Amino acid sequence: MLFLYNIIIVPIIAILIGLLFLGIARKVTARIHRRYGPPVIQPYFDTLKLLTKEDNITHGVMYMLGPAIGIAGSLLTLFFIPIGKYALFSMHGDLILVLYLGVIGSLGMALGAGDSGNPNAAIGVSRGLSLMLSYEFPLVLAIVGVILKYNTTSISAIIQKQVTSGWWAIFVIPLSALVFDIALQGILGEKPFDIPIAPHEINSGPMVEYGGKYLGMLQIFASLHLFTELALFVDLFLGGGANIITFSLKMLVVFLLAIFINAIMPRFRMDQAFKFYWKWPAILGLISLIFVFI
Amino acid sequence: MKTYELFIGPQHVGITGNFSVILELEGNVVKKATPNPGFLHRGFEKLMEMRGFIHNVPIVCRICVPDPDPNEANYAMAVEKLLGIEPPPRAKYIRTIVLEFSRIASHLFTFGGHAGSIGLYTIPNWTISDRDFILDLFEMLTGGRVYHIFIYPGGVRRDLPDGFIEKAKDVLNYLEKRLDDYNKLYFDSYMFKKRARGIGIINKEDAIEWGVTGPNLRASGVKADTRKDDPYAAYGELDFEIPVLTGGDAYDRIMIRRMEVVESIKIIRQALDNIPDGPIREKVPNPMRFIVPPGDAYVKVESSKGEYGYYMVSNGKDKPYRVYIRGASMTHGIHILEKLLPGNYLADVSQIMFSLDVCPPEIDR
Repeated sequence: MLFLYNIIIVPIIAILIGLLFLGIARKVTARIHRRYGPPVIQPYFDTLKLLTKEDNITHGVMYMLGPAIGIAGSLLTLFFIPIGKYALFSMHGDLILVLYLGVIGSLGMALGAGDSGNPNAAIGVSRGLSLMLSYEFPLVLAIVGVILKYNTTSISAIIQKQVTSGWWAIFVIPLSALVFDIALQGILGEKPFDIPIAPHEINSGPMVEYGGKYLGMLQIFASLHLFTELALFVDLFLGGGANIITFSLKMLVVFLLAIFINAIMPRFRMDQAFKFYWKWPAILGLISLIFVFI
Repeated sequence: MKTYELFIGPQHVGITGNFSVILELEGNVVKKATPNPGFLHRGFEKLMEMRGFIHNVPIVCRICVPDPDPNEANYAMAVEKLLGIEPPPRAKYIRTIVLEFSRIASHLFTFGGHAGSIGLYTIPNWTISDRDFILDLFEMLTGGRVYHIFIYPGGVRRDLPDGFIEKAKDVLNYLEKRLDDYNKLYFDSYMFKKRARGIGIINKEDAIEWGVTGPNLRASGVKADTRKDDPYAAYGELDFEIPVLTGGDAYDRIMIRRMEVVESIKIIRQALDNIPDGPIREKVPNPMRFIVPPGDAYVKVESSKGEYGYYMVSNGKDKPYRVYIRGASMTHGIHILEKLLPGNYLADVSQIMFSLDVCPPEIDR
């Protein structure tokens, strides 16, 4: 019974915290821009308003299914990631499973956007997939570093070992943490890697035809995606969290770092981003692997 | 490989104003670009033939929205040339101050546009808010923030109000301080150099042949500036440099504007310090019957976009027979864009457009 209860409560927490983080991002960015910015809870209002709209126009079945697949994929990933004291499906090899499942959400959005028939959306999707190809390599290097260091593929066991040893992984294998953080910038779509949604180039790319409740669902997908990826970082490198409060605070620190970089960086071109990811983070990741082996 | 068409229209974020470009793309690379103005044709040249000389002053400032004052100055100078009068020295100095402030405001706009086009959204927010201080000064001096309708044939409309000089100096000091912040975030940024270097190169010979003017020409290594070559207003009496760079790419076109802001601050400081006393208006005909002797005149000024020219023909009536306006963006926005865009990535299209500083109303006069 408690398990079923948790299955309902975890996504709600994730969506609420994810949306709150989106609001914090807007506020922090606004302060850097010397603006006031919207209230922190603005994304809640936006999402609720969008979800109450009726749909007048559609671009096909995939267009409608895309956001749903995105949310489903993100939820599935979420269940395998321990969040504070909630560890729903914890088992051996779940870290590798999370790597696979994490892509499903983005692919769902890519499918939906590709069906909308707008060339801007199509270019955005192709850019998004190329970006995924770029950051997956350093990301996998960083995760392999963690797996080798702690000699397990279970996220719960990794957290346990960090807590018992008293040293978070970010202090033990700092290079892997750095590589993961650089990859995280691309996963979250923050600058300098917000290439798939570049407004000045392709008019915000994949979302260009979305509106109404589908856009609301995409907003929820964005918040879930944000929460999932940040939670994975906190679990792997910052020793998880005793409860949801400390866990979210750790996530907020990681997220704020991403937001600050986002506010002061121009955007890479796609070829530059690819070269960057396969050069510096890859080299750092390999060096980290060598250190782990020694 | 299959090509497809992408419309970057007036609603697109990455366009400089009411203007559109139809791109033919092959994958990620532009094969053909067709600039397509015409969203903004208000018929300025024809309208001017139907109105009196003095009634045209509120029209001309609409020809370039971010930088309206060169139009007013140019129109006023053309009428003055036909009338054979010369504005008093104090009016010339006030014109210089207004023109240079307008140049700074327009360049701040361009920095914001270009930084936005490469994804650095902090700079547009900063520059637009800093530009507001200049607009405050305009409001104090002319009563208008965007359109000033201030420079009239024969002089200027109002004298400097009390406290204007001190306030203007404060704004200049503030802007100078802010330029350091921009340097840290934008002009010295590694990413800005990585994105903008070697994009949309115009070499020296092409620049001269294609009729590029203004900062874009000086970024290609040609030292040409109407303010120095053919001084008008008070520029002949002031000491300033013409910055020149030789790269001719998007990076140099932005950096030359940054150098010009420094020079403009220098010019305004000198003008504020050395402004002579005296009247601000020369005697002109009665506004109700503003008759200009027959003849024709071509007068040019240096706007923030490039060289502006007004060719005016009068047949001795109270309305101009014909006014032809040479807008710098006609060259930059149509011919140069068509030549520069093919071969570039889609990601750089907006950047090239903003670095050329295209002002669409100048194309559709």
